Amino acid sequence: MTIAWCGPAWAADSLEYAVKAAYLVKFIPFITWPDTVFTSPTQPVTICVLGDDPFGGRLDAETGQKFGDRPVAIKHIAQFDPDAKCQLLFVGHSTAAADGLVAAKDKPVVTVTDSDLPQHGVISFVIDANHVRFDIDNASADEDGLKISSKLLELAHAVRRKGAR
Amino acid sequence: MILEPRKESWSLPVAAALVAAAILLLAGVLMAFYEEQLYSAQQLKDVRGQAQILAASVTAAIVFDDSGAVQEHLDALKVNPELVGAGVYDKSGRLIASFVRAGAPLPRDRLAAGVTYASGHVDVVEPVLQDGAGIGIVFLRATTEPAERRLARYAGLILLVTMGALVILVLSLSQAALTGRARQLSMVNVRLQQEMEERRKTEEALRQSSKMEAVGQLSGGIAHDFNNLIMIVKGNLRLLRKRLGPDAVRADNYITSADEALDRAAALTQRILAFSRRQPLSPAPVRLSDLVAGMAELIRHSVGEKVVIATRLEAQWWTRCDINQMENVILNLAINARDAMPNGGTLSVETSDVTLALPPPETEDLGSGFVRGDYIALVVRDTGEGMPDDVRRRAVDPFFTTKPLGKGTGLGLSMTFGFVRQSNGYLTIASTPGEGTAVTLHMPRFQEGPVG
Repeated sequence: MTIAWCGPAWAADSLEYAVKAAYLVKFIPFITWPDTVFTSPTQPVTICVLGDDPFGGRLDAETGQKFGDRPVAIKHIAQFDPDAKCQLLFVGHSTAAADGLVAAKDKPVVTVTDSDLPQHGVISFVIDANHVRFDIDNASADEDGLKISSKLLELAHAVRRKGAR
Repeated sequence: MILEPRKESWSLPVAAALVAAAILLLAGVLMAFYEEQLYSAQQLKDVRGQAQILAASVTAAIVFDDSGAVQEHLDALKVNPELVGAGVYDKSGRLIASFVRAGAPLPRDRLAAGVTYASGHVDVVEPVLQDGAGIGIVFLRATTEPAERRLARYAGLILLVTMGALVILVLSLSQAALTGRARQLSMVNVRLQQEMEERRKTEEALRQSSKMEAVGQLSGGIAHDFNNLIMIVKGNLRLLRKRLGPDAVRADNYITSADEALDRAAALTQRILAFSRRQPLSPAPVRLSDLVAGMAELIRHSVGEKVVIATRLEAQWWTRCDINQMENVILNLAINARDAMPNGGTLSVETSDVTLALPPPETEDLGSGFVRGDYIALVVRDTGEGMPDDVRRRAVDPFFTTKPLGKGTGLGLSMTFGFVRQSNGYLTIASTPGEGTAVTLHMPRFQEGPVG
């Protein structure tokens, strides 16, 4: 990864979440959800942010971006609710991450956990040498019926392969 | 017969071989060109394929701006030695990753998708698409093989084709040389045969000439002495008749018979002398046309009723010869013609002025050679039975005759020949069995004209 950040802590922090916000959206085209998830070709892809929003509005700015005919929608939720129709669920530091992850387990939802969390979702951000990177748990993605493009796996910092324990 | 050397005939196979060699070379060049086109098309297809694969596989890396991953993809392409440069640009045209093996650096400007040819390399630009939207571009630069490498690739083919063409050329050239030599040989052979034939003819003529010479000298010498003896006998007969006086009446029959026999013997010796060119001649200028015209009545009387006489007297020039002997000759020839036409026919007597550069064909015994110049031709032609060639060739031999025994002396044509040669003229006999005979005298022109 070529984007590095430097400078004061607050600036670093803000850049880190800007990158993470961009990544959340960029993951979308490389993930294939089961057919049952979308009822129409124009149904938005919803990114749910569990609990507090660490992005400071940067993620909300991505609303309306389109992948094919599908726009991107952002929702802020306090609790994971299967009826909220979330396709991506961001679990940050401020929430009871474990609860959310357990709730979303076995659902066709791509759980994305922030860096330095003890629990890991399908995708988990890591900070590696001052770069934002991500690990992918392809085994649990597979269990949830999610397909993650090999192109994305290729960029991952670490991958837990299918069939791995 | 003279063979013209035919140059074009030996150059024809060479030309054909040249054409064949040229066609071979052309076919080789076309094949190489076609191969080259195929190769270029294949190369372009390969490069485009690689560009498309690269474009498809770097989407995520571009989206996440992962230059390391892009670089990995590009490095994977390095195994292809034809690729001398590659680059991946993002949507804004910024270079994310690249490699350059040699040559010009990668372009920095915004690139349009497509294929661009430049000297020594070809650039392929493929868009990187995600959900139908362009998110960047892939740039590949492949070297087009340098000329010497391409030549080296076709060197074997070129060598083979050139060798083939050379072999064809060398073979055809040697073939042409052989053909030319064979033709020369056959020409030389033909010339040799011509020369042999000429030599044979010359020897034949020489033999004939010396035969005539020998026979002439022998018979001439005998005839001369014989003539003197005849004259002695004749004189003594006259003296005997005088001495017998009145008693001579009783012996008159015997004496007259003897005298007549002596006359015939004298005539014979005269003819032999004429053949041997030893007869005393008294040449005088004469126009043969006038001579023949003056003899018309005599000739008509000699040949009889059954033979039609046609004369065509066109000669104006004078000649110089013994007029009496010439009259004898003409009469002799007319009688020969008559004898050749027992059932009648046409006797033509023609005269004309001719200038001869060569002896007339089939001229009898040129002797010391032919003198070119103006001649008066006298032709005596009959429509009789003609002569076969072997008879014609012996016609002037003395004592040769086809007439029954006692009918001819075999001296008529011999005498004519001797007279004509003694007068520096030429005798020619042409004959076709069943069609007739033509005897031609060529008498030399006498330039001074008549004296007095």
